[in-house]
Amino acid sequence: MSLFGSTSSFGTGGSGVFGTTTTDSHNPMKDVEVTSPPDDSISCLAFSPPTMPGNFLIAGSWANDVRCWEVQDNGQTVPKAQQMHTGPVLDACWSDDGSKVFTASCDKTAKMWDLNSNQAMQIAQHDGPIKAIHWIKAPNYSCIMTGSWDKTLKFWDTRSPTPMMSLQMPERCYCADVVYPMAVVATAERGLIVYQLENQPSEFRRIDSPLKHQHRCVAIFKDKQNKPTGFALGSIEGRVAIHYINPQNPAKDNFTFKCHRSNGTNTTTPQDIYAVNAIAFHPVHGTLATVGSDGRFSFWDKDARTKLKTSEQLDQPITACCFNNNGNIFAYASSYDWSKGHEYYNPQKKNYIFLRNAAEELKPRNKK
Amino acid sequence: MGRKKKKQMKPWCWYCNRDFDDEKILIQHQKAKHFKCHICHKKLYTGPGLAIHCMQVHKETIDSVPNAIPGRTDIELEIYGMEGIPEKDMQERRRTLEQKSQESQKKKNNQDDSDEDDDDDDAGPSVSQVPAVAPQASYAVPMTQPGMPPVGGVPHAGYQGSYLLYKSMPPMMPGVPPMMHGMPPAMHGMPPAMMPMGGMMPPMMPGMPGIPPAMPPHMAPRPGMPHVAPSPAAGPIPSRPAVPVTQPAVAKPLFPSAAQAQQNAPGAAASNPLTAAVTTDPPKATFPAYTQPSVSSSSASSNPSSSTVVKPPATVTSKPATLTTTSATSKLIHPDEDISLEEMKATLPRYQRLIPRPGQALTAAAPSVAAVGGIMPPQQPGMRHPLHGQYGAPPQGMPGYIPGGIPPYGQGPPMVPPYQGGPPMAASKEELRSVVMKTCFV
Repeated sequence: MSLFGSTSSFGTGGSGVFGTTTTDSHNPMKDVEVTSPPDDSISCLAFSPPTMPGNFLIAGSWANDVRCWEVQDNGQTVPKAQQMHTGPVLDACWSDDGSKVFTASCDKTAKMWDLNSNQAMQIAQHDGPIKAIHWIKAPNYSCIMTGSWDKTLKFWDTRSPTPMMSLQMPERCYCADVVYPMAVVATAERGLIVYQLENQPSEFRRIDSPLKHQHRCVAIFKDKQNKPTGFALGSIEGRVAIHYINPQNPAKDNFTFKCHRSNGTNTTTPQDIYAVNAIAFHPVHGTLATVGSDGRFSFWDKDARTKLKTSEQLDQPITACCFNNNGNIFAYASSYDWSKGHEYYNPQKKNYIFLRNAAEELKPRNKK
Repeated sequence: MGRKKKKQMKPWCWYCNRDFDDEKILIQHQKAKHFKCHICHKKLYTGPGLAIHCMQVHKETIDSVPNAIPGRTDIELEIYGMEGIPEKDMQERRRTLEQKSQESQKKKNNQDDSDEDDDDDDAGPSVSQVPAVAPQASYAVPMTQPGMPPVGGVPHAGYQGSYLLYKSMPPMMPGVPPMMHGMPPAMHGMPPAMMPMGGMMPPMMPGMPGIPPAMPPHMAPRPGMPHVAPSPAAGPIPSRPAVPVTQPAVAKPLFPSAAQAQQNAPGAAASNPLTAAVTTDPPKATFPAYTQPSVSSSSASSNPSSSTVVKPPATVTSKPATLTTTSATSKLIHPDEDISLEEMKATLPRYQRLIPRPGQALTAAAPSVAAVGGIMPPQQPGMRHPLHGQYGAPPQGMPGYIPGGIPPYGQGPPMVPPYQGGPPMAASKEELRSVVMKTCFV
């Protein structure tokens, strides 16, 4: 059921051949479309780690499933497997060796999916939907971190039904990111907490939010020595804050920028401001991508403080994005994120995941 | 400075209520945001100037000042920097500033926000830098927003609050607002406050006017003023840097290093260096336990919002909070409730069915669902897929994904998707296994 007639190598930009001649606004960027996408909104995307050869993509969706595809070098995507929860899947991540996928769901559980055996077992339980799940690999321990709407952040050794640690948060977890030894969690009511993971996870600092609106997504970035040094935080108000943990000069180093807004210079009509749904950093270049409810993605260079590219507008919001382990592939998902409320939800509308060649477009701009 | 400062407070823009360090910056801001022609982008000097330009050059009338908050859009008012601001607006502004300082300093007295002051001080200058930078950077930059208002509002007040002169001070400049963040060294008069320093006060009093009471000079970084007093927040003191340390001893107890240490300690204890490479010098690292969400939201609410898009602050007012999603110049594409989109979506009945599927033990390694694409779901527990390592070659001739095969959940798990060419259900374990092996591997 391959959709691609040509076998153009991925390096040429992976142009999808769709055969339709009408301008199809569901894929204006003409990116590669992943086959057999989920049937409901896609909540998360993750590529396999570099420890595994090849590229495998997992996507969690509101159809309660997590699907896995192999992405081949010629751009073909082959569905491989899927697992189900009893509620919408909100987040998913890989273990560091690529053998397991961890999935978090509204059914208040998280599961560990052993890909080799295609078995999934529950490894975590919360009192509310689990919104964020990350694998932590420390020199002296490994565990899963789950952040939930029950305002707790729990750490699980996958072999035990009780958490190794449970930390209380001021509010519901909305998003999190982990790059050892740092973890950042953004909560409701604009809460922002940084944790340090050495020896054992502990709260490092609570930060005053640099943004004035509800937090929506967060992603940690690293410095030139490959150590996590700060994070990018996106809100529902079309704005991303770049925040360093220990900057030389906070006022100068930390900044925010606006994104995902309509009509930039035209001030006569009210500007539409969209939520930033996800942020992902390119693993090699350190540049970042943001995707928003406006149905666009943008690439940015935070060091040169410039925008590298903005895409055309898709007909649906883009709800998730991620880079593969070497930064050649940028995946983004087009599905409804509820930003216009219940009325605009159309269950018949197809959801898509697109793959784009990211090697060139995310190269940093040289600072003048 | 002269006894009567120009407006006795930091320059602020009448059109959008933003604060600036410097009048020059304020003027630059006004020219760029309020007096800029939307047609040809020429920057004029005043509102009426802009109106005349548009009329003469473009034959267009404009009736309101761009990017101004409602109520301040009058195009006929000739305002340049701080000049021309109607007196009543000035007074209103002073009043709101004082109010803000009072509120926040009350809160401040109960919090250790020492380090935040540092941030603010830095944020201060950045305000001036930013507008200049903005035109060049592609990002709309306003560091001012995040930097200033929230940080400015609260901590400054706190800063202020630490040095409040209580009661004794009233005669002092009532007009001087707490917003001194442009002058880091400016120690607002250190009121060895009333209580302990009872004895001190008298000697200081005479020296008052104009002389800031002894300020332990090094106060700049760490006010460390836990609760010097429940100060009713008397008028702020004019801060004079060169405080002749007349009563250092006096101030000492109020800003004892002990108090600082006390603040530092919890901070230091809490902060483990993130990485070996990152050195956190102890005083610096003691970023105070951040302000409570209530504080930050209140400061958010009391601040004019950001950017070129002037809109009323989106206040997170109460628990079932709602957002202010529309304003004159912008519209937030987000439902009104201030909960996340996922939470909203999850309330739909469609997603509420949490019926554990019969036969699916939640903890056991039961096969959860039909796998597709050539990987047969093991019918019997214990059956392991022959795929080890990774997936191996994609099965040839497989129909790929069989969406229809995925059962709507709620049904029993051990179902096989309508797998064309698959083995019949009744096949034995071994037969299934061999089929899988055949089909999965070349």
